[in-house]
Amino acid sequence: MFFEQITGNLIQGLVLGSVYGMATMGLSLIFGVLKIVNVGHGAFIMVGAFITLWLFNTLGLSPILAIPAAFAVGMLLGLLFYYTTMRRLIKAPELASLLATFSIGILLEEVIKLIFGSEFRGYNWAVGKLNLGVTVLPMSKLYACIGSAIIALLLYIWFNKTRAGTAMRSVVEDSEGARVCGVNVDGTYAMSFAIGIGLTVVSGVLLTMFIPVGINPYMGGGYTLKAFVIAVLGGLASPYGAFFGGLVFGLIENGSYMLFALIPGVEPFALTRFLSFVILLIILLIRPTGLLSTK
Amino acid sequence: MALLELKNVTKEFGGLVAVNQVSLEIDSGEFVGIVGPNGSGKTTLFNVINGVFFPEKGNIIFDGVDITRLPPFKRAPLGIGRTFQIPRPFSSATVRENVAVGAMFGTLSKKVNVDDSLEIADQIIDRIGLHEYTGKQAGTLTPVEKKLMEIARALAMKPKLLLMDEAMAGMHPNDIDQMVDLIKKIALEEKIAIVSMVEHIMRAVVGMVEKVIVLHQGSKIVDAPTKEALEDPKVIEVYLGHPPEETHAVS
Amino acid sequence: MKTISKYYPLLPVLAVYFIMFLVGKNVSGMWQLVAMLLFYCALGQAFNIFLGMTGYVDFGYVAFMGVGTYGMAVTITQLAHVEGLGFLVITIGFLMALLFSTLLSLAVGAVALRLKGAYFAIATIGVNEGLRFFIEGARIWNGSEGLIFMAELNQILGRKTASALATFWADIMVLFIAMSAAYVTLLFMRSKIGYALTALREDEEAAKVMGINVTKYKIIAFITSACFAGLLGAASWALKTPYVFPPEVFEIHYTIEAIIIVLLGGAGTLLGPVIGGLIYGLSKYYLSIYMPGFQLLIFAPIIIVIIVIFPEGIIGMLKNRFKDTSLARFII
Ligand SMILES: Nc1ncnc2c1ncn2[C@@H]1O[C@H](COP(=O)(O)OP(=O)(O)OP(=O)(O)O)[C@@H](O)[C@H]1O
Ligand SMILES: [Mg+2]
Repeated sequence: MFFEQITGNLIQGLVLGSVYGMATMGLSLIFGVLKIVNVGHGAFIMVGAFITLWLFNTLGLSPILAIPAAFAVGMLLGLLFYYTTMRRLIKAPELASLLATFSIGILLEEVIKLIFGSEFRGYNWAVGKLNLGVTVLPMSKLYACIGSAIIALLLYIWFNKTRAGTAMRSVVEDSEGARVCGVNVDGTYAMSFAIGIGLTVVSGVLLTMFIPVGINPYMGGGYTLKAFVIAVLGGLASPYGAFFGGLVFGLIENGSYMLFALIPGVEPFALTRFLSFVILLIILLIRPTGLLSTK
Repeated sequence: MALLELKNVTKEFGGLVAVNQVSLEIDSGEFVGIVGPNGSGKTTLFNVINGVFFPEKGNIIFDGVDITRLPPFKRAPLGIGRTFQIPRPFSSATVRENVAVGAMFGTLSKKVNVDDSLEIADQIIDRIGLHEYTGKQAGTLTPVEKKLMEIARALAMKPKLLLMDEAMAGMHPNDIDQMVDLIKKIALEEKIAIVSMVEHIMRAVVGMVEKVIVLHQGSKIVDAPTKEALEDPKVIEVYLGHPPEETHAVS
Repeated sequence: MKTISKYYPLLPVLAVYFIMFLVGKNVSGMWQLVAMLLFYCALGQAFNIFLGMTGYVDFGYVAFMGVGTYGMAVTITQLAHVEGLGFLVITIGFLMALLFSTLLSLAVGAVALRLKGAYFAIATIGVNEGLRFFIEGARIWNGSEGLIFMAELNQILGRKTASALATFWADIMVLFIAMSAAYVTLLFMRSKIGYALTALREDEEAAKVMGINVTKYKIIAFITSACFAGLLGAASWALKTPYVFPPEVFEIHYTIEAIIIVLLGGAGTLLGPVIGGLIYGLSKYYLSIYMPGFQLLIFAPIIIVIIVIFPEGIIGMLKNRFKDTSLARFII
């Protein structure tokens, strides 16, 4: 009985973690290539959530179809913000890019609030449940998990097998060296920022498949914090590190909620969120380059 | 006793050995040149001496004290001054304030207050010939002016050892001669040992240093008085890529 | 003579505060607006000591105001039943606010200040949320229900005094905090601390090589800035509105406002946060009347424009403009 509960929890944690991981890859990609921390990360997740919501509620489109739409919107937003703002801040002090991405996040929140209002929304995508014996998994969560894994795989292939991907990796290693070797560094920056944002907006779709309620303009803040914990777990600059960091974090979050719920007189939800903050500080303290990184 | 002594110092980056088992001694007031092709580990050696990086192996002894694990901000006041290959001014501050920072924090005396430091800065700026820039923001200087400012900033620290990382690259040859004379004069007055490095064997080294240390792929291959070192076949090989055919390959 | 001229840059700051005070006191119905402006100026000046002078972004800054508010709130609720303490309770409350914000800044600083640049920002971004969820989750200080201490305050000071405190004297305390922060900023600028902070803001590694113990100076700026925030929380939040709820006092919104104010006026300048606070406060006030709900929509692009086009802010620009004129010694 206890064993079953643990196994069930592990499965739930891994499924959740795969989506968390995917939701952090964009952050790590952008940091790896541009050395910019996207503090407005959560706001882009929120945009993805609203795209899903809107497509589902007004056009009746399945959230699966929202994935390409979200990617396209994300790429466009990424290019827009890169060419209007980020491009001028690559060489500027960190203060500038941190505050710029932070402000972009606020701007997105306020624009979405203007269009959709600030109440909490949700949608109801009934696609059945899968009974695994030890636990019951809604199909929507399973789709989100599979979607995350496929996207992570595609990114891996793209990174390693295409010219643009190789250019990107060379910029991560050494941007000056890459420039000398004829890599179009500015183009690579733009491309990476756009893809990073694209991935992040897509992750907003997947996250709503996981939790289809509570969609509102300010939902992103919590995800920004989680994404930082995950990214730091995986070593900030590595998208795959981020994916595995997500798996670990999903397990921790699920497990700790279960444990906190056993303690009388506390609010397990709030404590779980506090824990993620503590984990962040601990990792930064003992190993700022990431627990899972080899460096 | 030598002012600075390195014993078998090794610094690696990942798998790359940037400084390999280097031992050397520098005496008080001595002028030493460090040469070696690009990537031979000169800058890394400086970074290890003043604490930007800690070496994996070996010991660094300065003025009789083992400073191998001392953080950089504790080494500077012992008397280690430094200029950077790519200048690193405090951009928003004026030249005067930059130099004053050196005087304020770069000495062991805790009594140097802000006003004293500004006075010291004024004197040094005059000496280096930067007075017309003294009120300018350091970030707006040309690269050569920045390098001069860095020399002034390092001298304000009253160092016993001054590490100059290609401090005169990019200057006009005439200016270099002048600069070399000036620095030599100051160094003699203040008994500063100078370790200067240049990318290629050039007149600045020949004109200034008594001893040349040659690095090649992180290892020290030559450590000899200037004239001897420049004629050493190993040096010529490192620079030309083949053994010398004529003895006057370098002049 | 020389020592007096050192304090010239304080003149414009004091002049602005003096005019604000006169307007608030003499134009009827203006005090509330002036109080709000004072709060924003004080917030800007407090945050500037860290953000402006070190160049490090502390996204969790509001947490210091939050714990300061709790310091005052806890003191009042705990000491309400002790007879005859009167204003001593308020004094103890401020001391507690200082204590809480110092302790928090030590705890956060111990971890975060070892980290450079972006990693520092990441470490701090969860501080306010983390504390909020800790207080709620572990049910400390009444957890998510918060503390309400109107009755206790009335009991301690009497109804009339308590109300005068909330509507006038608390604002005077804020004014006092703002002026002290300006004074401390100038002291820093004129001392080794200011030189060290400028150096490490511009190039931390070079600063170390020049012999600067960067961690020490970062901690000095961090704790000082945190203490002013704690006092501000105690004065402006706890005493003006005698209740405290975790989601309100740990709301990242106030960090955002502080950032806007500092950047707008000019990070690292003395007069900047005052001007930034004035402009921000006034525009927020009028926007909330004429375009309610749109403040952030308008301010977000403004920050982006400031960062990209004139990162030195208003006073930063003026400072360069008047560099070699007689005005230069007043504008820093
Ligand atoms: N921070 C670092 N991280 C990784 N590798 C480094 C770092 N600094 C230097 N290296 C590597 O160490 C080797 C030695 O570099 P170093 O800069 O010391 O050479 P150098 O002799 O100063 O060259 P140059 O003449 O170009 O200035 C090079 O291969 C360089 O790429
Ligand atoms: Mg070098």
